[in-house]
Amino acid sequence: MSDAIRESGFTNEVLGWKAWLPTVDLASATAEQMAVLEESHPQAKTSDYYLTLAHHPDILRQRSQAFNAIMYAPGGLARAERELASTVVSRINRCVYCASVHAQRFEQLAKRNDVIRQIFADPKTAGTTEREKAIVQFSIDLTLEPAALSASHIQVLREHGLDDGQVLDLIHAISIFAWANRLMLNLGEPVFPST
Amino acid sequence: MTSTAPTAVATDLLDSLLDIQPGTPLHAVRHAREKVASATQASQDLFFAPVLENNLSLTERLWVAYYAAYLTPQPLLAAQYLGQLETQGIDKGVRSNIESGALDALDDARLAAILRFTRTLIESPVHGDQQALQALQQQGLSTEEIVVLAQLIAFLSYQVRLAAGLGALRAAGEAR
Repeated sequence: MSDAIRESGFTNEVLGWKAWLPTVDLASATAEQMAVLEESHPQAKTSDYYLTLAHHPDILRQRSQAFNAIMYAPGGLARAERELASTVVSRINRCVYCASVHAQRFEQLAKRNDVIRQIFADPKTAGTTEREKAIVQFSIDLTLEPAALSASHIQVLREHGLDDGQVLDLIHAISIFAWANRLMLNLGEPVFPST
Repeated sequence: MTSTAPTAVATDLLDSLLDIQPGTPLHAVRHAREKVASATQASQDLFFAPVLENNLSLTERLWVAYYAAYLTPQPLLAAQYLGQLETQGIDKGVRSNIESGALDALDDARLAAILRFTRTLIESPVHGDQQALQALQQQGLSTEEIVVLAQLIAFLSYQVRLAAGLGALRAAGEAR
């Protein structure tokens, strides 16, 4: 990563994650558990996170299919903008591990991290363009007050150039991080590199 | 699973609750991301299967779902899960204790622990720590049950936001 950000307890550095519950032991894993690990993520077999979720392989399989379709499908909202939303949601929910991973992905795709520094410092005012600010604000609103979401929120996104397919991609990216953040926050904790 | 053959697409819960009809622009937009819609519905079907072997009972899972939707609040999903609970014949006293947050008053200590965990993860996930898992273990929940419970609450956090987003898109009408 070009330059390290450490701000308000958040970072774009590579972190580890350790489980609080016993993980699935690969030596005694079922064929189905092995298959789901292989299709979920290239490093799933050495990841405490996937080895925890593999306790129920069918549920993990559907979660991974939803996650991968939302974050990696071609077309629609730019992938960097999906990662931007994921980073905002993770910052709001205070998932330090998720925020670090998705800050790195944003930077890989966008070749800059100016907005990441802003999100970590103060998400409410973050955004380097009007479109970015609209995406950030919508991510905050849907995360904190889903019950208050209305047509006017959609109208603002349309005014900033998002078509409805892109709006749906944004809703998906925000919603899947409501899911992902809770698993990462509530089943284990980040491991910081020794300095 | 007894069969791996694709089943005819049954009802999609969110399309049905939000009245997103085939042939409408919103239906086309949503189903252009068919992998997402189908994994969402497949998760729904798994979480609310009549039996999850050696795991949370359907009634426990439905209370979690109802409480999560009630706290958010997401009225359409809350009504959906309450309706499913009612077909199982629920106790009015249990319902009123849950709605008023009087979880300590529940006779079922295991359900109370499950719903305390639900409330923490829905309202303030950063506060769900290692002790929160220990409280579940003290009520006899296995590792597999805790993983399913965390996945269920996390899924519901996703579902209520997806429902809110689709509802707002529907209310906004067709883009001009």
